[in-house]
Amino acid sequence: MTETPCPYPFRRAAALDPPEELRTLRDEPVVPATLPSGDVAWLVTRYEDIRTLLCHPHVSRNIMRPGAARMSKNNMMFQDSKMDPDPPAHTRLRRLVMKAFTATRVENLRPHVQKVADELVDGMIAAGPPADLNTALSFPMTIRIICELLGVPVEDRDRFRGWTDAFLSVSKFGREEIGRAMGELNGYMADLIKEKRERPRDDLISALIGVRDTEDGRLSEYELHWWSRLLLLVGYETTAAQLSASVAVLLTHPDQAKKLREDPGLVPQAVEELLRLKLLGSSLSMLRYVTEDIEIGGRTIPKGTSVIPVIESANVDASVIDRPDEFDVGRGEAHHLTFSVGPHFCVGAALARLQLQMAIETLLRRLPELRLTVSPAELRRNEGALMEGLLEVPVAW
Amino acid sequence: MNVLVDPDRCCSSGLCVLAVPSVFEQDEDCVVRLADARPPQDTHQRVREAARRCPGRAITVLEDGVSRHTLMEE
Repeated sequence: MTETPCPYPFRRAAALDPPEELRTLRDEPVVPATLPSGDVAWLVTRYEDIRTLLCHPHVSRNIMRPGAARMSKNNMMFQDSKMDPDPPAHTRLRRLVMKAFTATRVENLRPHVQKVADELVDGMIAAGPPADLNTALSFPMTIRIICELLGVPVEDRDRFRGWTDAFLSVSKFGREEIGRAMGELNGYMADLIKEKRERPRDDLISALIGVRDTEDGRLSEYELHWWSRLLLLVGYETTAAQLSASVAVLLTHPDQAKKLREDPGLVPQAVEELLRLKLLGSSLSMLRYVTEDIEIGGRTIPKGTSVIPVIESANVDASVIDRPDEFDVGRGEAHHLTFSVGPHFCVGAALARLQLQMAIETLLRRLPELRLTVSPAELRRNEGALMEGLLEVPVAW
Repeated sequence: MNVLVDPDRCCSSGLCVLAVPSVFEQDEDCVVRLADARPPQDTHQRVREAARRCPGRAITVLEDGVSRHTLMEE
């Protein structure tokens, strides 16, 4: 193992380019890295090792421990000393929430998601080109869907978008600004829960209030508020950013977009291939802590080490994927770990997949002349934010 | 073919239920449960696929002719 830690997250030469480091990273199974916080963690680089790590009972998501590396200097992201992020406590709570997001439940939303996608594309056509995909489609769609599911008024979007930006900041916001945003969100959610407790609706937050109020120990008041806030904060940004970046990639690969227009049946596997490219951010948020010595890739990782499974590296590991550096929507199966595996597998995976598939299919079908109005080199990422989504995706048709 | 599921590893994605509803179910807590532990031939390919895709690695498939003992030693 090289002894000098490399800086992580890796930078990209251009917004849609994968980081250079990914070419040689897997030469070693573990590589030390310096995080934005200045702390050191070990990067785990290979697909199979990462699967093992993410399902390992001695690898904890609780990084609020003395000596554990932090992601950011200013932001404790996803960490709360009152919430145990490991099984079995975490699994018990997660299952309450998961009911609303299972593959079968999400499948039932298909006609509705199609309607929302069509309405937004109608709006783009009515307004005429040019448009920014973020503001014309990606954010309005994903915000509306998560708001309806949770029962959060979509009119409040400008307020909670600011809170989300603060919550998902690695280095954009100072500690005080983040604290203030979290305080405002806490108050907002407390008011919303109070209102729903009086007038329950057919939505997830009302359902969770119902579970809480049975007083059977499944969900505490604190946990109810925490999960309600979390689902809003992480419920749209990732999907919106992935959608905009996916379309940008397709528009810079006209041959691939053409394949999809000719055979829309390829869209689901194209979405998996676009997920495999890991277009968003890094794997910083996957930071874990090793609670007992473990064996990874023939190396012992000692108890007390902080580790990051580098998903963007797993997804281009030639031992599980042919031609890993090629973007090919015709790939039969794109193995990727973008939604993680194991006890923290993305709760919103099925919902994200559905929205990505329907939005991309609808855009390609209804706007066959869709194109970027800037060169790929001009696209900019939201630096210092956890997702590093594209700031703008200007298109015309 | 015999199918085993481990509820402790289940992360409730529901992918298996969507893939082979005659074999996999979810209980009221969305935890995997078997509807058919010895599924018919025509489902085998889909069951293997579901096992491979399970994000919690909660599904084990025991092919006929392969003893459980051998499998556990792997």
